[in-house]
Amino acid sequence: MSFFELLAQTWPRLLHGLGITLESTLISLALAAILGLVFGMLSVSRATGARAVARVYVDIIRGTPIIVQAFFIYFGITSALNFRMDPMTAGIITLTLNAGAYLAEIFRGGIQAVDKGQMEAARSLGLPYGMAMRKVILPQAVRTMVPAIVNQFIITLKDSSILSVIGLTELTQVGSLIIADNLESFKVWLIVGIMYFIIIMILSTISKKIEKRLKVNA
Amino acid sequence: MPKIEVKNLEKSFGDLQVLKDINLEVEEGEVVCVIGPSGSGKSTMLRCLNGLETPTSGSIVIDGHHISDPNVDIDMARRNIGMVFQQFNLFPFMTVKRNVTFAPVTLKMMSQEEADKKAEHLLDRVGMLDKADAYPKQLSGGQQQRVAIARALEMNPDIMLFDEPTSALDPEMVGEVLNVMEHLASEGMTMVVVTHEMGFAKHVADRVIFIDEGVVVEEGTPEQVFDHPQNERTQNFLNMVLQ
Repeated sequence: MSFFELLAQTWPRLLHGLGITLESTLISLALAAILGLVFGMLSVSRATGARAVARVYVDIIRGTPIIVQAFFIYFGITSALNFRMDPMTAGIITLTLNAGAYLAEIFRGGIQAVDKGQMEAARSLGLPYGMAMRKVILPQAVRTMVPAIVNQFIITLKDSSILSVIGLTELTQVGSLIIADNLESFKVWLIVGIMYFIIIMILSTISKKIEKRLKVNA
Repeated sequence: MPKIEVKNLEKSFGDLQVLKDINLEVEEGEVVCVIGPSGSGKSTMLRCLNGLETPTSGSIVIDGHHISDPNVDIDMARRNIGMVFQQFNLFPFMTVKRNVTFAPVTLKMMSQEEADKKAEHLLDRVGMLDKADAYPKQLSGGQQQRVAIARALEMNPDIMLFDEPTSALDPEMVGEVLNVMEHLASEGMTMVVVTHEMGFAKHVADRVIFIDEGVVVEEGTPEQVFDHPQNERTQNFLNMVLQ
């Protein structure tokens, strides 16, 4: 079978897999952004307890492989609590918890990189802490965080391929299934690789444009 | 009733005690200059006045607000206490005008129109109206500091605190900032100024306080402190900085 025959024949399945990849990634990233912001805030808090909670979360996620996290959530928790979870839900939970921890670290670093005088100036004008954080600190922090956030988005998109191990029919899993039918290992993995590559190139390009726009009035 | 009343203020960072039994009263319209060597605790004392530092013990009452009380609404109290920093601390992503109007508009104390009008008036007063649409990084240090003063004044404070406002400036820009401050003093603003500018302290202050090693060593009119210092430490310090 020629490369293009193969492509034409498997295209609908590959597209469907890509759709699942993007769906699980995007939902997870949206949730992870919230989770990351919350834990990022906790980690710059003055309360020792809050900082400890954030540190434990980040350390657990950073200290374990994502494949173990996926197994733990999909098989471990469901068997311990005796219920069933579909692979999509388990996959989204895994990616969310994983990306959330890394984003929390990015937020923490970004906030701490903003000059301390900015918070003091805002507070001395009578702004409450939360308002000063939202309106003065975060807008400055986000500018410096954009490259790291996009990088994390790319990592999470690639990490979604690991969800094939819990049976989620995302792009990588679809690739495996197609090869199981036709044994065209070389061509199929080449196609799958190119598909990931194109999506990530698109993401990188968008991020460079955002960076440029933010630089104009930094 | 004094505008500012500090009683038995003590502040320690860990084992290091930086303020020891500070007592201070500032009357309405009074200009008090705080002088002393680097690391003497004078900036820390000033920062205690608006709660940027939490005192270890003692009481601070400003305009009836018990700043040192943990239950005080510190944000409300701060609306009435303007602060100008050594490093200006303008918000870099906002224009000059937005820097000035940001706090009162965000806190819903003024409409944008009211705040704009007042900001134009204040920027004109500090000679920065023509830079209203510039960003802080496009300004010199002296210009930034004048904007920072306008930003603090926009809140209509009764009291202004200055934390070494000219120490980060190139020498040729010190004058323009001191002029603005002198003008403010002549209008009757209550001011506490931590400064190394002895000329300013001498000419503008109603009272000068010399702090060394966390203690008020000497206090009096500029004539008393500069011309007839009683304490040996004051004499030594003045000999060093005035020669």
